[in-house]
Amino acid sequence: MNKTLIIIGVVVLLVGGYIWSTYNRLISANEAIDNQWAQVETQYQRRFDLIPNLVESVKGVMSQEQKIFGELADSRSRYSGASDASQKAEAATQVEGALSRLIAIMENYPELKSAENVQTLMAQLEGTENRISVERKRYNDVVQNFNVTIKRFPTNLIANQLGYSAKNYFEAEDGTETAPKVDLQK
Amino acid sequence: MKLKIAQILFLCLGFFAYANFANAYYNPGQPDGFVNDYSSTLTSEQKQLLENKLTQFERDSSNEISIAIINDLQDDTIENFAEKLFKDWRIGKKDKDNGVLILVAKENREMRIEVGYGLEGTLTDAQSNWIINKIMKPAFQSNDFYKGINDATDKIIAATKGENIPNLETSPKQNFNFDWEMVFGIGFFGLMWLSAILGRSKSWWLGGAIGAILGIIMGIIKGFLYFGITSLAILIPLGLLFDFIVSKQYRTGKSRGHVPWWIGGGRWGSGKSGGFGGFGGGMSGGGGSSGKW
Repeated sequence: MNKTLIIIGVVVLLVGGYIWSTYNRLISANEAIDNQWAQVETQYQRRFDLIPNLVESVKGVMSQEQKIFGELADSRSRYSGASDASQKAEAATQVEGALSRLIAIMENYPELKSAENVQTLMAQLEGTENRISVERKRYNDVVQNFNVTIKRFPTNLIANQLGYSAKNYFEAEDGTETAPKVDLQK
Repeated sequence: MKLKIAQILFLCLGFFAYANFANAYYNPGQPDGFVNDYSSTLTSEQKQLLENKLTQFERDSSNEISIAIINDLQDDTIENFAEKLFKDWRIGKKDKDNGVLILVAKENREMRIEVGYGLEGTLTDAQSNWIINKIMKPAFQSNDFYKGINDATDKIIAATKGENIPNLETSPKQNFNFDWEMVFGIGFFGLMWLSAILGRSKSWWLGGAIGAILGIIMGIIKGFLYFGITSLAILIPLGLLFDFIVSKQYRTGKSRGHVPWWIGGGRWGSGKSGGFGGFGGGMSGGGGSSGKW
Protein backbone atom coordinates (compact mmCIF):
# COMPACT_ATOMS: atom_id res chain seq x y z
CA MET A 1 0.00 0.00 0.00
CA ASN A 2 1.14 3.49 -0.78
CA LYS A 3 2.01 5.41 2.39
CA THR A 4 1.23 8.88 1.01
CA LEU A 5 -2.17 7.65 -0.03
CA ILE A 6 -2.88 6.57 3.54
CA ILE A 7 -1.75 9.92 4.92
CA ILE A 8 -3.92 11.81 2.46
CA GLY A 9 -6.84 9.55 3.30
CA VAL A 10 -6.39 10.19 7.01
CA VAL A 11 -6.25 13.95 6.52
CA VAL A 12 -9.36 13.94 4.33
CA LEU A 13 -11.17 11.82 6.90
CA LEU A 14 -10.12 14.16 9.69
CA VAL A 15 -11.24 17.33 7.95
CA GLY A 16 -14.38 15.79 6.50
CA GLY A 17 -15.37 14.27 9.81
CA TYR A 18 -14.80 17.54 11.56
CA ILE A 19 -17.00 19.48 9.15
CA TRP A 20 -19.69 16.84 9.32
CA SER A 21 -19.84 16.78 13.11
CA THR A 22 -19.70 20.56 13.39
CA TYR A 23 -22.53 20.94 10.93
CA ASN A 24 -24.69 18.55 12.92
CA ARG A 25 -23.80 20.25 16.17
CA LEU A 26 -24.81 23.64 14.82
CA ILE A 27 -28.10 22.30 13.53
CA SER A 28 -28.94 20.82 16.93
CA ALA A 29 -27.94 23.95 18.80
CA ASN A 30 -30.10 26.05 16.51
CA GLU A 31 -33.00 23.68 16.90
CA ALA A 32 -32.63 23.78 20.69
CA ILE A 33 -33.14 27.53 20.62
CA ASP A 34 -36.38 27.27 18.65
CA ASN A 35 -37.58 24.54 20.93
CA GLN A 36 -36.82 26.56 24.05
CA TRP A 37 -38.50 29.62 22.63
CA ALA A 38 -41.62 27.54 22.14
CA GLN A 39 -41.47 26.65 25.83
CA VAL A 40 -41.31 30.34 26.73
CA GLU A 41 -44.30 31.05 24.50
CA THR A 42 -46.31 28.25 26.08
CA GLN A 43 -45.86 29.87 29.46
CA TYR A 44 -46.78 33.30 28.09
CA GLN A 45 -49.95 31.81 26.75
CA ARG A 46 -50.69 30.31 30.11
CA ARG A 47 -50.28 33.70 31.70
CA PHE A 48 -52.65 35.28 29.19
CA ASP A 49 -55.24 32.66 29.89
CA LEU A 50 -55.11 33.50 33.57
CA ILE A 51 -55.33 37.25 33.25
CA PRO A 52 -59.01 37.51 32.19
CA ASN A 53 -60.03 35.32 35.13
CA LEU A 54 -58.05 37.42 37.54
CA VAL A 55 -59.41 40.65 36.12
CA GLU A 56 -62.91 39.29 36.27
CA SER A 57 -62.64 38.37 39.91
CA VAL A 58 -61.10 41.61 41.12
CA LYS A 59 -62.89 44.07 38.87
CA GLY A 60 -65.88 44.44 41.13
CA VAL A 61 -63.87 45.42 44.16
CA MET A 62 -61.34 47.49 42.25
CA SER A 63 -63.85 49.49 40.26
CA GLN A 64 -61.92 52.78 40.47
CA GLU A 65 -58.73 51.27 39.01
CA GLN A 66 -59.87 51.24 35.39
CA LYS A 67 -56.52 52.53 34.12
CA ILE A 68 -54.59 49.41 34.99
CA PHE A 69 -57.19 47.14 33.43
CA GLY A 70 -56.93 49.18 30.25
CA GLU A 71 -53.15 48.81 30.25
CA LEU A 72 -53.42 45.09 30.67
CA ALA A 73 -55.89 44.75 27.83
CA ASP A 74 -53.69 46.90 25.57
CA SER A 75 -50.53 44.93 26.18
CA ARG A 76 -52.41 41.69 25.64
CA SER A 77 -53.69 42.70 22.27
CA ARG A 78 -50.23 43.92 21.35
CA TYR A 79 -48.86 40.48 22.10
CA SER A 80 -51.49 38.77 19.97
CA GLY A 81 -50.63 41.12 17.11
CA ALA A 82 -46.86 40.57 17.38
CA SER A 83 -45.41 38.68 14.45
CA ASP A 84 -41.86 37.74 15.37
CA ALA A 85 -40.05 36.63 18.49
CA SER A 86 -38.52 39.95 19.47
CA GLN A 87 -41.86 41.80 19.15
CA LYS A 88 -43.50 39.12 21.22
CA ALA A 89 -40.83 39.39 23.86
CA GLU A 90 -41.29 43.12 24.01
CA ALA A 91 -45.05 42.91 24.33
CA ALA A 92 -44.71 40.23 26.99
CA THR A 93 -42.50 42.52 29.05
CA GLN A 94 -45.23 45.14 28.93
CA VAL A 95 -47.78 42.63 30.12
CA GLU A 96 -45.44 41.82 32.93
CA GLY A 97 -45.12 45.45 33.97
CA ALA A 98 -48.88 45.98 33.95
CA LEU A 99 -49.43 42.77 35.85
CA SER A 100 -47.01 43.62 38.62
CA ARG A 101 -48.64 47.05 38.96
CA LEU A 102 -52.03 45.39 39.25
CA ILE A 103 -50.70 43.09 41.95
CA ALA A 104 -49.18 46.05 43.79
CA ILE A 105 -52.50 47.89 43.69
CA MET A 106 -54.30 44.79 44.91
CA GLU A 107 -52.31 45.06 48.11
CA ASN A 108 -54.53 47.99 49.00
CA TYR A 109 -57.62 45.82 48.99
CA PRO A 110 -57.43 43.46 51.95
CA GLU A 111 -60.82 41.96 51.12
CA LEU A 112 -59.32 40.60 47.88
CA LYS A 113 -56.56 38.81 49.66
CA SER A 114 -58.95 36.84 51.79
CA ALA A 115 -61.19 35.81 48.90
CA GLU A 116 -60.71 32.13 48.11
CA ASN A 117 -60.93 32.43 44.32
CA VAL A 118 -58.47 35.32 44.23
CA GLN A 119 -56.05 33.33 46.33
CA THR A 120 -56.24 30.40 43.96
CA LEU A 121 -55.73 32.61 40.95
CA MET A 122 -52.79 34.30 42.57
CA ALA A 123 -51.16 30.96 43.34
CA GLN A 124 -51.59 29.97 39.70
CA LEU A 125 -50.25 33.28 38.53
CA GLU A 126 -47.28 33.03 40.82
CA GLY A 127 -46.49 29.56 39.51
CA THR A 128 -46.79 30.80 35.95
CA GLU A 129 -44.51 33.74 36.53
CA ASN A 130 -41.95 31.42 38.02
CA ARG A 131 -42.24 29.09 35.05
CA ILE A 132 -41.74 31.98 32.69
CA SER A 133 -38.57 33.02 34.46
CA VAL A 134 -37.27 29.46 34.45
CA GLU A 135 -37.95 28.94 30.75
CA ARG A 136 -36.48 32.31 29.88
CA LYS A 137 -33.33 31.53 31.80
CA ARG A 138 -33.05 28.26 29.91
CA TYR A 139 -33.64 30.11 26.65
CA ASN A 140 -30.70 32.35 27.45
CA ASP A 141 -28.62 29.30 28.29
CA VAL A 142 -29.20 27.63 24.93
CA VAL A 143 -28.62 30.92 23.12
CA GLN A 144 -25.37 31.34 24.99
CA ASN A 145 -24.34 27.83 24.07
CA PHE A 146 -25.11 28.55 20.42
CA ASN A 147 -23.35 31.91 20.38
CA VAL A 148 -20.22 30.59 22.00
CA THR A 149 -20.13 27.70 19.56
CA ILE A 150 -20.43 29.75 16.42
CA LYS A 151 -17.94 32.36 17.56
CA ARG A 152 -15.18 29.95 18.48
CA PHE A 153 -12.42 29.08 16.06
CA PRO A 154 -12.54 27.07 13.86
CA THR A 155 -16.28 26.49 14.11
CA ASN A 156 -16.87 30.11 13.12
CA LEU A 157 -15.57 29.36 9.62
CA ILE A 158 -18.24 26.73 9.09
CA ALA A 159 -20.93 28.76 10.83
CA ASN A 160 -20.21 31.69 8.52
CA GLN A 161 -20.54 29.44 5.51
CA LEU A 162 -23.91 28.29 6.76
CA GLY A 163 -25.03 31.85 7.43
CA TYR A 164 -25.47 31.48 11.16
CA SER A 165 -25.09 34.60 13.25
CA ALA A 166 -25.29 35.24 16.99
CA LYS A 167 -28.79 35.23 18.48
CA ASN A 168 -30.16 37.81 20.87
CA TYR A 169 -30.48 37.12 24.53
CA PHE A 170 -33.71 37.60 26.32
CA GLU A 171 -33.27 40.79 28.24
CA ALA A 172 -35.91 41.68 30.74
CA GLU A 173 -36.84 45.30 31.28
CA ASP A 174 -35.50 46.91 34.42
CA GLY A 175 -37.42 45.85 37.45
CA THR A 176 -39.01 42.84 35.79
CA GLU A 177 -36.09 40.42 35.98
CA THR A 178 -37.72 38.69 38.86
CA ALA A 179 -41.24 37.42 38.81
CA PRO A 180 -43.77 39.76 40.43
CA LYS A 181 -43.92 38.71 44.02
CA VAL A 182 -47.33 37.62 45.12
CA ASP A 183 -47.45 37.46 48.85
CA LEU A 184 -50.80 36.70 50.36
CA GLN A 185 -49.40 36.02 53.78
CA LYS A 186 -48.76 39.61 54.73
CA MET B 1 -3.98 6.28 36.87
CA LYS B 2 -2.88 9.39 35.03
CA LEU B 3 -6.26 9.59 33.39
CA LYS B 4 -7.94 9.42 36.76
CA ILE B 5 -5.92 12.27 38.20
CA ALA B 6 -6.57 14.33 35.10
CA GLN B 7 -10.27 13.63 35.47
CA ILE B 8 -10.31 14.71 39.08
CA LEU B 9 -8.42 17.88 38.27
CA PHE B 10 -10.81 18.62 35.47
CA LEU B 11 -13.77 18.09 37.75
CA CYS B 12 -12.30 20.42 40.36
CA LEU B 13 -11.68 23.08 37.75
CA GLY B 14 -15.18 22.71 36.46
CA PHE B 15 -16.52 22.95 39.94
CA PHE B 16 -14.71 26.18 40.71
CA ALA B 17 -15.68 27.73 37.42
CA TYR B 18 -19.26 26.80 38.11
CA ALA B 19 -19.20 28.04 41.68
CA ASN B 20 -17.94 31.40 40.50
CA PHE B 21 -20.71 31.98 38.02
CA ALA B 22 -23.65 30.46 39.80
CA ASN B 23 -25.75 32.71 42.01
CA ALA B 24 -25.79 31.31 45.44
CA TYR B 25 -27.09 27.90 44.63
CA TYR B 26 -24.97 25.09 45.95
CA ASN B 27 -25.55 21.40 45.57
CA PRO B 28 -26.10 20.01 49.05
CA GLY B 29 -24.90 16.60 47.91
CA GLN B 30 -25.95 13.59 45.92
CA PRO B 31 -29.26 12.10 47.01
CA ASP B 32 -28.91 8.83 48.86
CA GLY B 33 -32.62 8.15 48.90
CA PHE B 34 -35.94 9.89 48.44
CA VAL B 35 -35.51 11.67 51.76
CA ASN B 36 -32.43 13.82 52.13
CA ASP B 37 -32.11 15.66 55.39
CA TYR B 38 -29.05 17.91 55.50
CA SER B 39 -30.11 19.65 58.68
CA SER B 40 -30.64 16.65 60.98
CA THR B 41 -34.24 17.61 61.50
CA LEU B 42 -35.79 14.18 61.22
CA THR B 43 -34.97 11.24 63.42
CA SER B 44 -33.66 8.20 61.59
CA GLU B 45 -36.92 6.44 62.35
CA GLN B 46 -39.01 9.21 60.79
CA LYS B 47 -36.68 9.31 57.83
CA GLN B 48 -37.09 5.58 57.34
CA LEU B 49 -40.88 5.79 57.50
CA LEU B 50 -40.96 8.48 54.85
CA GLU B 51 -38.42 6.62 52.76
CA ASN B 52 -40.53 3.46 52.84
CA LYS B 53 -43.64 5.33 51.85
CA LEU B 54 -41.98 7.10 48.96
CA THR B 55 -40.24 3.95 47.74
CA GLN B 56 -43.57 2.15 47.74
CA PHE B 57 -45.21 5.05 45.95
CA GLU B 58 -42.52 5.05 43.31
CA ARG B 59 -42.99 1.34 42.80
CA ASP B 60 -46.76 1.72 42.44
CA SER B 61 -46.95 4.79 40.29
CA SER B 62 -43.38 5.44 39.06
CA ASN B 63 -43.75 8.99 40.38
CA GLU B 64 -40.73 10.15 42.31
CA ILE B 65 -41.27 12.42 45.29
CA SER B 66 -38.11 13.75 46.82
CA ILE B 67 -37.73 15.55 50.11
CA ALA B 68 -34.79 17.83 50.80
CA ILE B 69 -34.29 19.69 54.04
CA ILE B 70 -31.41 22.12 53.97
CA ASN B 71 -30.15 24.61 56.50
CA ASP B 72 -30.14 27.76 54.43
CA LEU B 73 -30.37 29.06 50.91
CA GLN B 74 -27.30 31.27 51.09
CA ASP B 75 -29.02 34.35 49.65
CA ASP B 76 -30.63 32.49 46.79
CA THR B 77 -34.37 32.51 46.29
CA ILE B 78 -36.15 29.29 47.10
CA GLU B 79 -37.64 29.18 43.61
CA ASN B 80 -34.23 29.28 41.96
CA PHE B 81 -32.72 26.86 44.44
CA ALA B 82 -35.51 24.34 43.96
CA GLU B 83 -35.31 24.51 40.18
CA LYS B 84 -31.53 24.00 40.18
CA LEU B 85 -31.67 21.17 42.70
CA PHE B 86 -34.41 19.48 40.70
CA LYS B 87 -32.21 19.70 37.65
CA ASP B 88 -29.15 18.39 39.47
CA TRP B 89 -30.93 15.46 40.98
CA ARG B 90 -33.02 14.79 37.89
CA ILE B 91 -36.09 13.85 39.87
CA GLY B 92 -38.75 11.91 37.99
CA LYS B 93 -38.57 9.44 35.15
CA LYS B 94 -36.80 10.54 32.05
CA ASP B 95 -39.65 10.61 29.57
CA LYS B 96 -42.41 11.32 32.05
CA ASP B 97 -40.87 14.11 34.12
CA ASN B 98 -43.04 12.86 36.96
CA GLY B 99 -41.02 14.14 39.88
CA VAL B 100 -41.91 16.33 42.84
CA LEU B 101 -39.43 18.06 45.09
CA ILE B 102 -40.35 19.23 48.56
CA LEU B 103 -37.66 21.65 49.59
CA VAL B 104 -37.46 23.06 53.10
CA ALA B 105 -34.92 25.73 54.04
CA LYS B 106 -34.95 25.81 57.80
CA GLU B 107 -33.11 29.00 58.63
CA ASN B 108 -34.91 30.98 55.95
CA ARG B 109 -38.20 29.50 57.14
CA GLU B 110 -39.22 28.91 53.54
CA MET B 111 -40.51 25.90 51.71
CA ARG B 112 -41.37 25.02 48.14
CA ILE B 113 -43.07 22.25 46.25
CA GLU B 114 -41.48 22.04 42.82
CA VAL B 115 -43.45 19.99 40.33
CA GLY B 116 -41.99 18.25 37.29
CA TYR B 117 -43.45 18.93 33.83
CA GLY B 118 -45.30 15.66 33.76
CA LEU B 119 -47.24 16.23 36.98
CA GLU B 120 -48.17 19.85 36.43
CA GLY B 121 -51.61 18.80 35.31
CA THR B 122 -52.40 16.66 38.34
CA LEU B 123 -50.60 18.57 41.05
CA THR B 124 -51.50 22.13 40.15
CA ASP B 125 -49.90 25.27 41.49
CA ALA B 126 -53.04 26.03 43.41
CA GLN B 127 -52.99 22.61 45.05
CA SER B 128 -49.34 22.97 45.94
CA ASN B 129 -50.10 26.33 47.39
CA TRP B 130 -52.92 24.89 49.42
CA ILE B 131 -50.70 22.07 50.72
CA ILE B 132 -48.03 24.55 51.74
CA ASN B 133 -50.33 26.98 53.50
CA LYS B 134 -52.85 24.60 54.98
CA ILE B 135 -50.72 21.54 55.79
CA MET B 136 -47.07 22.38 56.05
CA LYS B 137 -47.19 25.87 57.46
CA PRO B 138 -49.21 25.16 60.63
CA ALA B 139 -47.13 22.07 61.43
CA PHE B 140 -43.86 23.87 60.83
CA GLN B 141 -45.00 26.74 63.03
CA SER B 142 -45.45 24.33 65.89
CA ASN B 143 -42.03 22.87 65.06
CA ASP B 144 -43.43 19.51 63.98
CA PHE B 145 -41.49 19.08 60.76
CA TYR B 146 -42.18 15.40 60.40
CA LYS B 147 -45.94 15.90 60.58
CA GLY B 148 -45.84 18.75 58.07
CA ILE B 149 -43.76 16.81 55.59
CA ASN B 150 -45.54 13.52 56.11
CA ASP B 151 -49.00 15.02 55.68
CA ALA B 152 -47.83 16.99 52.68
CA THR B 153 -46.55 13.83 50.96
CA ASP B 154 -49.90 12.16 51.69
CA LYS B 155 -51.71 15.02 50.00
CA ILE B 156 -49.34 15.03 47.06
CA ILE B 157 -49.80 11.29 46.61
CA ALA B 158 -53.56 11.75 46.82
CA ALA B 159 -53.42 14.51 44.23
CA THR B 160 -51.49 12.36 41.77
CA LYS B 161 -53.48 9.16 42.34
CA GLY B 162 -55.27 7.69 39.42
CA GLU B 163 -53.42 9.77 36.91
CA ASN B 164 -50.39 7.68 36.15
CA ILE B 165 -51.10 4.13 35.16
CA PRO B 166 -48.61 1.99 37.05
CA ASN B 167 -46.18 0.49 34.63
CA LEU B 168 -44.37 -2.70 35.36
CA GLU B 169 -41.35 -2.22 33.19
CA THR B 170 -39.06 -0.11 35.25
CA SER B 171 -37.32 2.43 33.09
CA PRO B 172 -33.55 2.22 33.41
CA LYS B 173 -32.35 4.08 36.45
CA GLN B 174 -28.97 4.79 35.03
CA ASN B 175 -28.73 7.60 32.55
CA PHE B 176 -26.64 6.76 29.56
CA ASN B 177 -25.22 10.16 28.92
CA PHE B 178 -21.67 9.00 29.34
CA ASP B 179 -21.27 5.71 31.08
CA TRP B 180 -17.62 5.24 31.84
CA GLU B 181 -18.15 1.64 32.69
CA MET B 182 -19.61 0.96 29.28
CA VAL B 183 -16.84 2.83 27.52
CA PHE B 184 -14.36 0.84 29.52
CA GLY B 185 -16.11 -2.38 28.63
CA ILE B 186 -16.18 -1.64 24.93
CA GLY B 187 -12.56 -0.52 25.08
CA PHE B 188 -11.60 -3.74 26.80
CA PHE B 189 -13.38 -5.89 24.25
CA GLY B 190 -11.91 -3.84 21.46
CA LEU B 191 -8.42 -4.28 22.85
CA MET B 192 -8.74 -8.03 23.00
CA TRP B 193 -10.14 -8.18 19.53
CA LEU B 194 -7.40 -5.92 18.25
CA SER B 195 -4.69 -7.89 19.91
CA ALA B 196 -6.02 -11.03 18.29
CA ILE B 197 -5.73 -9.45 14.85
CA LEU B 198 -2.62 -7.37 15.32
CA GLY B 199 -0.76 -10.12 17.06
CA ARG B 200 -1.25 -12.38 14.06
CA SER B 201 -0.28 -9.74 11.54
CA LYS B 202 3.42 -9.46 10.82
CA SER B 203 3.63 -5.71 10.48
CA TRP B 204 3.66 -3.01 13.18
CA TRP B 205 2.33 -0.04 11.23
CA LEU B 206 -1.25 -1.32 11.34
CA GLY B 207 -1.44 -0.57 15.06
CA GLY B 208 -0.35 2.99 14.38
CA ALA B 209 -2.98 3.37 11.66
CA ILE B 210 -5.70 2.09 13.98
CA GLY B 211 -4.46 4.53 16.60
CA ALA B 212 -4.84 7.32 14.07
CA ILE B 213 -8.38 6.28 13.19
CA LEU B 214 -9.32 6.12 16.86
CA GLY B 215 -7.85 9.59 17.30
CA ILE B 216 -9.99 10.91 14.46
CA ILE B 217 -13.10 9.34 15.91
CA MET B 218 -12.40 10.84 19.30
CA GLY B 219 -11.79 14.21 17.71
CA ILE B 220 -15.14 13.97 15.93
CA ILE B 221 -16.99 12.95 19.06
CA LYS B 222 -15.50 15.72 21.14
CA GLY B 223 -15.79 18.16 18.30
CA PHE B 224 -12.55 19.96 18.91
CA LEU B 225 -9.77 20.08 16.38
CA TYR B 226 -7.01 20.27 18.94
CA PHE B 227 -8.48 17.42 20.89
CA GLY B 228 -8.38 15.29 17.76
CA ILE B 229 -4.78 16.24 17.08
CA THR B 230 -3.75 15.52 20.65
CA SER B 231 -5.41 12.16 20.57
CA LEU B 232 -3.74 11.45 17.25
CA ALA B 233 -0.36 12.35 18.71
CA ILE B 234 -0.94 10.05 21.64
CA LEU B 235 -2.74 7.21 19.97
CA ILE B 236 -0.46 6.62 16.97
CA PRO B 237 2.66 5.84 19.02
CA LEU B 238 0.47 3.96 21.47
CA GLY B 239 -0.97 1.88 18.64
CA LEU B 240 2.48 1.16 17.30
CA LEU B 241 3.71 0.13 20.70
CA PHE B 242 0.65 -1.98 21.26
CA ASP B 243 1.08 -3.75 17.95
CA PHE B 244 4.73 -4.30 18.72
CA ILE B 245 4.05 -5.83 22.12
CA VAL B 246 1.16 -7.96 20.99
CA SER B 247 2.98 -9.25 17.95
CA LYS B 248 5.95 -10.16 20.07
CA GLN B 249 3.84 -11.82 22.74
CA TYR B 250 1.92 -13.72 20.12
CA ARG B 251 5.06 -15.00 18.49
CA THR B 252 6.70 -16.05 21.73
CA GLY B 253 3.39 -17.45 22.97
CA LYS B 254 2.88 -19.41 19.79
CA SER B 255 6.37 -20.87 19.89
CA ARG B 256 5.67 -22.05 23.44
CA GLY B 257 2.40 -23.54 22.34
CA HIS B 258 -0.04 -21.30 24.15
CA VAL B 259 -1.18 -17.80 23.54
CA PRO B 260 -1.73 -15.41 26.49
CA TRP B 261 -5.42 -15.21 27.47
CA TRP B 262 -5.67 -11.52 26.71
CA ILE B 263 -4.76 -12.11 23.11
CA GLY B 264 -6.91 -15.12 22.58
CA GLY B 265 -10.21 -13.66 23.69
CA GLY B 266 -12.36 -13.87 26.77
CA ARG B 267 -15.51 -12.95 28.61
CA TRP B 268 -16.32 -9.68 30.13
CA GLY B 269 -19.32 -8.77 32.21
CA SER B 270 -20.47 -6.19 34.68
CA GLY B 271 -23.06 -6.18 37.42
CA LYS B 272 -24.74 -3.25 39.09
CA SER B 273 -25.47 -3.58 42.78
CA GLY B 274 -28.93 -2.83 44.11
CA GLY B 275 -30.19 -0.07 46.39
CA PHE B 276 -31.19 3.47 45.60
CA GLY B 277 -29.87 4.12 42.13
CA GLY B 278 -30.58 7.81 41.90
CA PHE B 279 -33.54 9.50 40.32
CA GLY B 280 -34.75 8.79 36.84
CA GLY B 281 -33.75 11.91 34.92
CA GLY B 282 -36.89 14.04 35.01
CA MET B 283 -37.20 17.78 34.43
CA SER B 284 -39.19 20.57 36.00
CA GLY B 285 -40.00 23.95 34.56
CA GLY B 286 -40.62 26.00 37.64
CA GLY B 287 -44.12 24.74 38.38
CA GLY B 288 -45.38 24.43 41.92
CA SER B 289 -45.62 26.87 44.76
CA SER B 290 -43.58 28.41 47.57
CA GLY B 291 -44.38 29.61 51.02
CA LYS B 292 -43.03 30.80 54.36
CA TRP B 293 -43.72 29.91 57.92
